[in-house]
Amino acid sequence: MIGFIKKDLLMIKSNIKTLCIIMFVYIFLAYQGQMDFSFILPFMSVIIMISTFAYDSYNKWDAYACCLPNGKQNSVKAKYIATLLLIIMTTIIMMIITIVISYVYQNKIDINAVLESIVVTLGSTIFLQSIMYPPIYKFGVEKARIGIFVIVFGIAIIGSFLYKYIDFKSISSSLAFLNDYGIIIIPIILVITLYISYKISETIYLKKEY
Amino acid sequence: MENILEVKNLSKKYKDFELKNISFNLKKGMIMGFIGENGAGKTTTIKAILDIIKNYKGEIKIFGLDNKKDEKNIKEDIGVVLDDIFFPEILTPFDINSIMKDSHKKWDSDLYFKYLTDFSLPKKNQIKTFSKGMRKKLEIATALAHHPKLLILDEPTSGLDPIARNEVIDIFQEFIQNEECSILLSSHITTDLEHIADYITFINNGEILLSKTCDELLDQYGIVKCHETDFKKIEKRDYIKYKKNKYEYEILVENKKEFKNKYHIPTIDKLTLEDLMVLMIKGVK
Repeated sequence: MIGFIKKDLLMIKSNIKTLCIIMFVYIFLAYQGQMDFSFILPFMSVIIMISTFAYDSYNKWDAYACCLPNGKQNSVKAKYIATLLLIIMTTIIMMIITIVISYVYQNKIDINAVLESIVVTLGSTIFLQSIMYPPIYKFGVEKARIGIFVIVFGIAIIGSFLYKYIDFKSISSSLAFLNDYGIIIIPIILVITLYISYKISETIYLKKEY
Repeated sequence: MENILEVKNLSKKYKDFELKNISFNLKKGMIMGFIGENGAGKTTTIKAILDIIKNYKGEIKIFGLDNKKDEKNIKEDIGVVLDDIFFPEILTPFDINSIMKDSHKKWDSDLYFKYLTDFSLPKKNQIKTFSKGMRKKLEIATALAHHPKLLILDEPTSGLDPIARNEVIDIFQEFIQNEECSILLSSHITTDLEHIADYITFINNGEILLSKTCDELLDQYGIVKCHETDFKKIEKRDYIKYKKNKYEYEILVENKKEFKNKYHIPTIDKLTLEDLMVLMIKGVK
């Protein structure tokens, strides 16, 4: 499986420049005191990883992978692990930049805010990966993009509709416990979501014909 | 001699196509040419052997093992070149080495780079910059570099110039020299097969029409060329198929010596695989 993970990481080599540019833009923004964009590098890394599906599909890599030892079993697992590694690496890089710039220029670091930022960044990017990968495996990257757009648009419409009729104050007070336990509960929910997503993708992959 | 590949009663149904009870064996140390027109079922058969399609019936044994149950062990010893199926083209041959050494237990980096050098392939350029012939050579180098015992090749020489084809054919012949390795080779370039194949399996419309040794086919079979008056004297049971051309009849016969003795028709040409395909598919009985 290490070979397959390497393959997915080697495929983003040509996008390293893009990631570096994003990183330097963030350094500039952070230097200006705008540190709310630390999520952008991990977020972009998921988007870049999604673009590797298009290359896989164009060269029918999945069929070739299935001809290699344990190829069927490892292909999906490797894609999930490679994406996770990339998310974790880029999150760590962004956090280091945030801490260094905070220390150098402001001399104060709010550790809780940094931790909160890590949880939110990891949470949102892993959630993005979890919802996007199964439809990509099912319909291919092009069709899945449209599907995701429809889902997000649908959620936005439903959300705006609910906003009018639901008392969010009572909901937010009942979710107040997340302030204390969120740092434990959110990762657990994420792991479960990611595992379910992986199992769905694997099932779709194993049922496919090449 | 031991079979390295056994295909027994392989069937697979699609909406508009069907593989019907395909059966053939490939012995150790042999090269089998798998021929047939486009859409005849060659690639589907190969994909079933590799277990990358679903819901097919029949029994497939590779190295005496079931192709589904013992998939992992089997695939350690198989090298494949499939038509238009390979690594993503943004990778380089160097990347492929890095990936494959962690995917195949017996991957031999030195052998892989030797093939790259022999084929004059750049190591650090993206595959998308390669010509079709260069890609094919890279696919062949990748298929050979883990010392497989069985090569399954779907159109491995398409896109190669005659010099490169010759080079590749020499490598295939060298590959079977130890008499432990075999090749199943599907190709439209039938002249290549005439040079290297020990067996020919001919598939048409999802059915095996014949599976014989190449020598048997090329030495015994023949193409009789005659005019209508001579053709009318020939009994139906003495030929396989015939085709009427503008000036003459072309008749495929199974035993050209016996035919010559019986009918005394002087023009009996040596069979080529191309003639065989054309007459078997386009000819009538």
